[in-house]
Amino acid sequence: MSEMTYLRAISDGLRTEMRDDERVLLMGEDIGVYGGAFKVTDGFIEEFGADRVMDTPLAESGIVGTAVGAAVVGLRPVCEMQFADFVSCGFDQIINVAGKMLYRQGLPVNITVRLPSGGGFSGGPFHSQNPEAWFMHSPGLKVVAPSTAEDAKGLMIASIRDPNPVIYMEHKNLYRRVKGEVPEGSYETPFSARVAREGTDLVVITYGAMVHTALEATEDLDDASIMVLDLRSLVPLDEAAILSAVHDCSKVVIVDEANQTCAAGAQVAALIAEFGFEDLDGPVVRVASPDVPIPFSPTLEAAVLPSVDRIREACRQLLEY
Amino acid sequence: MPQMGVSVAEGTVVDWRKQPGDWVQADETICEISTDKIDTEVPAPASGRLVEVLVAVGATVDVGVTLARIATDARPGEPHSSENGAPPPAAATALPPPPAGPDAPVAAPSRGSAPPRRTGGAGGSVSRRYSPVVQRIADEHGVDLDEVQGTGREGRVQKKDVMAVVAARGGRVGSATRAPDADAAEPVLHIESPYRPGAGASVSGPYTPPEGRPLSRMRQAIGVHMKQSQMTAATCTTWIEVDVSRIEIARRKLAITALPLIARCTIGALIEFPLLNAWLENDVHTVHEQVNLGIAVALGEDGLIVPVVRGAQDLSPEGLSRRIRDLARRARSRQLSPDDVHGATFTITNPGQFGSMMATPVIAQPQVAILDVEAIVKRPVVVTDQFGDDAIAIRPMVILGLSWDHRALDGALAARFLASVKKRVESYEL
Repeated sequence: MSEMTYLRAISDGLRTEMRDDERVLLMGEDIGVYGGAFKVTDGFIEEFGADRVMDTPLAESGIVGTAVGAAVVGLRPVCEMQFADFVSCGFDQIINVAGKMLYRQGLPVNITVRLPSGGGFSGGPFHSQNPEAWFMHSPGLKVVAPSTAEDAKGLMIASIRDPNPVIYMEHKNLYRRVKGEVPEGSYETPFSARVAREGTDLVVITYGAMVHTALEATEDLDDASIMVLDLRSLVPLDEAAILSAVHDCSKVVIVDEANQTCAAGAQVAALIAEFGFEDLDGPVVRVASPDVPIPFSPTLEAAVLPSVDRIREACRQLLEY
Repeated sequence: MPQMGVSVAEGTVVDWRKQPGDWVQADETICEISTDKIDTEVPAPASGRLVEVLVAVGATVDVGVTLARIATDARPGEPHSSENGAPPPAAATALPPPPAGPDAPVAAPSRGSAPPRRTGGAGGSVSRRYSPVVQRIADEHGVDLDEVQGTGREGRVQKKDVMAVVAARGGRVGSATRAPDADAAEPVLHIESPYRPGAGASVSGPYTPPEGRPLSRMRQAIGVHMKQSQMTAATCTTWIEVDVSRIEIARRKLAITALPLIARCTIGALIEFPLLNAWLENDVHTVHEQVNLGIAVALGEDGLIVPVVRGAQDLSPEGLSRRIRDLARRARSRQLSPDDVHGATFTITNPGQFGSMMATPVIAQPQVAILDVEAIVKRPVVVTDQFGDDAIAIRPMVILGLSWDHRALDGALAARFLASVKKRVESYEL
């Protein structure tokens, strides 16, 4: 075990798997010589060479499309979108090619697409989005979103090994802010939810950076016993863990950093409404970003993203209900 | 006790929404009352603190009696004057603000300017809706939720409240609910067998009727009015059969129901025969020029209420339709004001939607007649063409029944009135 940042844990996961499996290669913009916009792959080109750490043109469609071809012939590419926001340029290759290849041709597409996502640092509308729900909606893809350093490494390795295309959401605001003990060597984190804190009065269901916001918001809330459930994997969604938490707590707050409409939390809310109805003791409450672009202005951005105060207030209201 | 219509002399307090010490805003509901005409909410006449409730729930008092006193000089967040040991100000609504000084009430620790939240339990007016989990646990453990003290918002029963009740009872509850299943020794049946062991044993024994309940206030009021009418009026009923082909065409064009169109024709006949648009109170006969049309609105199994379209003679069918819809909606949501339900000069009742054919309606006193509109049914009828040749045609027909008071008019007039309505309906032009 050694303590490292969320960002170093991602690097560690990539490096571990590249050392263990020479089929793994990286593709992306400025990931080689420069070491990546966020330095996730710093030093990789020196260790693994330009054949396995490929600097590509600024063309997300080309990156994903090339990776799909490489996967079909047996390699295990990991693509970096410099910012999650730019993935829309590679959308067709992910949705219609990678996601449907197994269904149409019987060919597994073992690619991992890294999406540095999320706001909180005045990045504005093109550098702060949380587009995970776009991919949840499209069959044939898996979507993961680790919140801790340990899970960041474990899910990276699990994503590379999974034979399906996996969208790996890594939250930029966690890169250097979150540190944790990370096991040495190779391990896989399962595609399932994790109880970040046990509780019995209310459960906050969330994932990614909002796990930390939710933990802070509910750390000491009127002596209430509040569970925080970290989904970790959005596809597949750990329905058993969600319904079990609802059964135990009966009051639910769902937090998304993404824009509210059709966000991951909407799917969780629908699941609870359909299968957890008998366990509910109050309305299913959602806290999310309103359906607006993420502002540059720090003040406005803080007003848009779900805050500790907003989550606290939502929990307090529901506890009183 | 506010005046709820000309003939209403008294009212009963059904529920207090505010308790002494509560802050009330002007026009906020402070209590619910019931009269023989209408159940309604009483709004606060002024903002202030409810100092005193003078009429208890269930008590019936005359119109004009003071129900409660509101201290208009109070401010939100201040303690109730009785909490300071000071006597409640007499006729507080009329008092000027007290002078600031040593005698002024001591301000309580600031709780903000918002009026205090209503606390649950008091007055039994709290909504008794339960969440799915609360109902499930209550069912599983046989908990009577009416007995559970809620700690949620406005006294709402939360999961933890019902869990606490279950826990307080210990394990006895669970075993008590399971015991009957074990004792029943139910015979094993094939899964598709239609046989279900019923409560057959009770058939042979003496019949035990379920426990009776007092009749609702609304049903009692309806009963009194109907009996009084039957004892007062010399009620006769005359029927006429009417072809509503033209009404059917018109109502499709206007996208409204047949009722406002038939009402429009009836109003025309009332103008022609004003003796039917009249009141008879003892020997006083009042013939109205204005038509205030009462429309009976069913309130499910609770009863019915008759809101009034005032000045109906000036309204088009579309206008009547809008007014009737609005009154019916407000009647069903119990939002009618007293003015909405009194002053009718003639009433139409329209129970035909369920397919019934004829009825003998009871006249709403002091009116002298009531028109009953039954189901519109397609029937084979003999029609005569312009050359005098007869043919059988399929026509939408309705039977109109007029109950009328033989003290005020005779059968010939009733028949002429109905013939006028029939003529107007059958020759209806948009």
